[in-house]
Amino acid sequence: MAGLSKGSLAALIVLLAGTLCLLLETAAPWLVSFPAHWTVPATEWVGSSMEWVLLLIKPTARVFSALMAYPMEATNLVLGGSPWILVICSVAALAWLLGGLPMALMVVVGLGFVVASGYWHKGMNTLSLVAVSVPLALFVGGAIGVLANEYPRFRKPVQALLDVMQTVPTFAYLTPLLVLFGFGPVVGLIASAIYAAPPMARNVLLGLERVEPEIKEAAIMAGGTRLQQLFQVEIPSAATQIMVGVNQSLMAALSMVIIAAIIGGFDDIGWEVLLTMRKAWFGPSLMAGMVIVVFAVIIDRMSGTLAQDNRRRYDPRIAWGILGFGIVASALSWNSLPDPSDYAMFEGVADYLDTGLSAFTTANGDWLAAFKNNAMFYGLLPLRIGLDQAVLPFTWGFQWTQQMSLWLFAFGAVLGLVLALRGQVTWGIMALIFIGMLETGITNLPWPFVLIGAAALGWVASGRGLALLAVGLLCTILVSGLWAPAMLSLYLSGAAVFACVILGGGIGLLCSVSPMAWRVVRPICDMLQTIPLFVFLIPVLMVFQIGEFSAFLAIITYAIVPMIRYSQHGLTETPDEMIEAATASGATTWQILRDVRAPYAAPTILLGLNQTILYAFAMLVITALVGTTGLGQLIYLSIGQADVGLGISAGAAMAILALIADRIVQGFAEDRRKVLGL
Amino acid sequence: MSDKPQAAISCQNVWQVFGQNADSALKEALSGNPDSESAAAALREKGLIPAVQDANFEVAEGELFVIMGLSGSGKSTLIRCISHLLHPTHGEIRIDGENIVEATAKRLIELRRNKLGMVFQHFGLFPHMSVADNVAYPLRVQGMKRKARLEKAQKVIDLVGLGGREKHHPRELSGGQRQRVGIARSLVADCSVWFLDEPFSALDPLIRRQLQDEFLQIQAELKTTIVFITHDINEALKLADRIAIMRDGKIVQIGTPSDIILNPVDDYVREFSKDVAKGRHAHLASVMQTGEGLVYGADDPGLRVDMTLDAALARCMDLYDPVPVRAEDGALLGVVNPADLAAALHVDAE
Repeated sequence: MAGLSKGSLAALIVLLAGTLCLLLETAAPWLVSFPAHWTVPATEWVGSSMEWVLLLIKPTARVFSALMAYPMEATNLVLGGSPWILVICSVAALAWLLGGLPMALMVVVGLGFVVASGYWHKGMNTLSLVAVSVPLALFVGGAIGVLANEYPRFRKPVQALLDVMQTVPTFAYLTPLLVLFGFGPVVGLIASAIYAAPPMARNVLLGLERVEPEIKEAAIMAGGTRLQQLFQVEIPSAATQIMVGVNQSLMAALSMVIIAAIIGGFDDIGWEVLLTMRKAWFGPSLMAGMVIVVFAVIIDRMSGTLAQDNRRRYDPRIAWGILGFGIVASALSWNSLPDPSDYAMFEGVADYLDTGLSAFTTANGDWLAAFKNNAMFYGLLPLRIGLDQAVLPFTWGFQWTQQMSLWLFAFGAVLGLVLALRGQVTWGIMALIFIGMLETGITNLPWPFVLIGAAALGWVASGRGLALLAVGLLCTILVSGLWAPAMLSLYLSGAAVFACVILGGGIGLLCSVSPMAWRVVRPICDMLQTIPLFVFLIPVLMVFQIGEFSAFLAIITYAIVPMIRYSQHGLTETPDEMIEAATASGATTWQILRDVRAPYAAPTILLGLNQTILYAFAMLVITALVGTTGLGQLIYLSIGQADVGLGISAGAAMAILALIADRIVQGFAEDRRKVLGL
Repeated sequence: MSDKPQAAISCQNVWQVFGQNADSALKEALSGNPDSESAAAALREKGLIPAVQDANFEVAEGELFVIMGLSGSGKSTLIRCISHLLHPTHGEIRIDGENIVEATAKRLIELRRNKLGMVFQHFGLFPHMSVADNVAYPLRVQGMKRKARLEKAQKVIDLVGLGGREKHHPRELSGGQRQRVGIARSLVADCSVWFLDEPFSALDPLIRRQLQDEFLQIQAELKTTIVFITHDINEALKLADRIAIMRDGKIVQIGTPSDIILNPVDDYVREFSKDVAKGRHAHLASVMQTGEGLVYGADDPGLRVDMTLDAALARCMDLYDPVPVRAEDGALLGVVNPADLAAALHVDAE
């Protein structure tokens, strides 16, 4: 074994484990499906202990909930009760201060659309939730960030906690909160505050850490007390980074408020989307979705300018002017202004869209169905249950036989051997493993094989610690009886991530060689990243109806963005000197791309992959709304049943999968960075 | 500390060790080893970093004391120990007789408000404050009213030649101007001990020389005690009353500029002074012998004890008659006056 590299050795062990499992499959069926009597009722234990804890803090929570109702009603009154002209003018005045004429125009057009769509009141209800939850999140997150900075001992645990909170799916927050606060808008408020606090904490901590040491020392030498140093020097110096936190916090809060609509009880825009989607009124649901997009874009662009260095100042007199106009106009039209809910100017458009869409789907029904079925039968299904079960006369035209499996394995062995002989031992073994996985299907993989595979990846990526962590965490899923849904989730997100890598990597590559393409793709990426997750479901639902394929597409649309961005960025950030050196050596553009840019970009692209995986898991839970199976569905069900144990366990299982994937990819990225000396 | 006049700064056995459990490791190393050299070696073996080992020196009041060394020699760490930005692992640091290693946090703040000033290599300006607010910040933390502190700040801003730029922000200034702000800020609270950590290293050569000259003027006016860090031997020689040379955390030599150039203790110090025009920095005192028993001629070029060697040589050259200059084959081409030679070589000999 001395001649084998670490990677080859790990791959070989996994191959042996896989072969062994395959051979023993019939003799020992417990290898394939984990026996039910080996599991423990962890879900119930978690449920009962959590309920006990929740019961303990419930009175406090209810008091808090009652208290929070006041600011909520107050903002609701201000936002919803004010004439819409006044609200638009106030926001436009603020926008002018932040970004001048283009920003103010964007606000007027965007909010004008909201008024015209007839969703004004519902939209304001959503915004007032955001308006109350964000200050809460900023305060809590900021305090956590400052404290973690002051007491370095807490920094590591706080960062670990923030990491975990990022991987816990959004829905999973809802069940325990539901038990604590009862149905109603306060749950959405608290959930969005909890969800929006970590980005603030993270950025405050990062900003404070990045203040130049000499600036901190200068404040010390000036004779400032610790509080003076912190509030007069360090926090203002970190303002730009903190504003990035404010921006992310706002976006997270908006996203969560809309997701929280699934528990209902509040007449907001998220609920409207959900309602129309369930009734398959796609025109109105698209309209409501557009309103959400408008809010997201306005909030993002306005708060984004705060995080820019050296931003321009705009004349405040014009802002006062806009505000004054708003006051005068609303005073003049106080009685004559009809209720904005009556506008619904776009009802015709919505209806038209609805009918147009049905016409489109009927006209292209065959083609769309063929597309969907081909992707399902020849791509997703074999991946899920394996070629041996997916290949049926009904779809593929023939029945898979034992013999075919043998031929497939023989082909894999030859392929592996060829690769090995050409010096790519690790890739050769990996090829054989992949072919074996394709034959078996991800959800039918023997659990020992998955454990050993995860351990091997962890070991190669970062060492024994990660291998042990991966096995340990996966074992908790195994014994808690959530293995099957976890594998389903793994399969769907894995397939989506794979598609994102191929597609997103390709687009990123294209954009790195063609600035023209990047100019087109970039605003699309910006847009896709601004839109709250929920909205992605609408268009795929319209065309492909409920089901796994729609979920698959929705995940790809959302998760592909980081892959594109990071590939493009990685491939174009190569230092000029290296490119010049390669050019001077006589390399062609393609050779430079392959030999210089790609290796240099590897760590960045791996980070993109990491983000893509996390995005895919985040979206996976949301797609439970359009009927996926797996952990997402369990979490979604638990909300309906207020089953804390199930919600938390399934959420934890999801977080575990995301965490392991995150650590493994980070490990590989770190490794590449070390090799490059970065 | 007794009969001799009290030093403004005195460091005794100062150690700064980085790494895990530095305190106990240093104690162990000091008790288990005969000298600081072997103690440092023992620490290194354990994976700790003795950034400053056993520093001992005194700085007299009004003295300009330069600490010089290459990057990584521990000079920045040492100045941070003296200004107590770092708590030294071991040793005693007295400023005007007060041991600041044992000072309370409250006392340290007091000291910094009234006695200590510091200038940083990369300026350490507050990006969100204007020039005036930056300079006035040490007064702001003392609770002085805005109008009063801006008035006082104006004086130092004028002193460093930044009048008219009070409302600018640091990002709008050039490197030289930024460091002027840094200098003004460190002076605004009337400090009596002034720390400068490579203040001119980040500037380009012309600006550096200009600021050095202005710095000497300010020093002549204020007469504060100064600890100045640099990695540039020429800067050290130009500014210093005395120089301490550091290497790998250790002070290898302390002496006047002439001492350092003419009597380097080892090859490391010699290497530094190799490229230095010795005649320009060493003074006559360093080569002069006692007059007793020595014979000297009737000539007196008018040498003074504080002259540089170059200047003295030029004066002596004046005594010579013109000498012949020949071609390669020995044919006489012309004459040269030695005084002209001296003049041509030492344009700036004062």
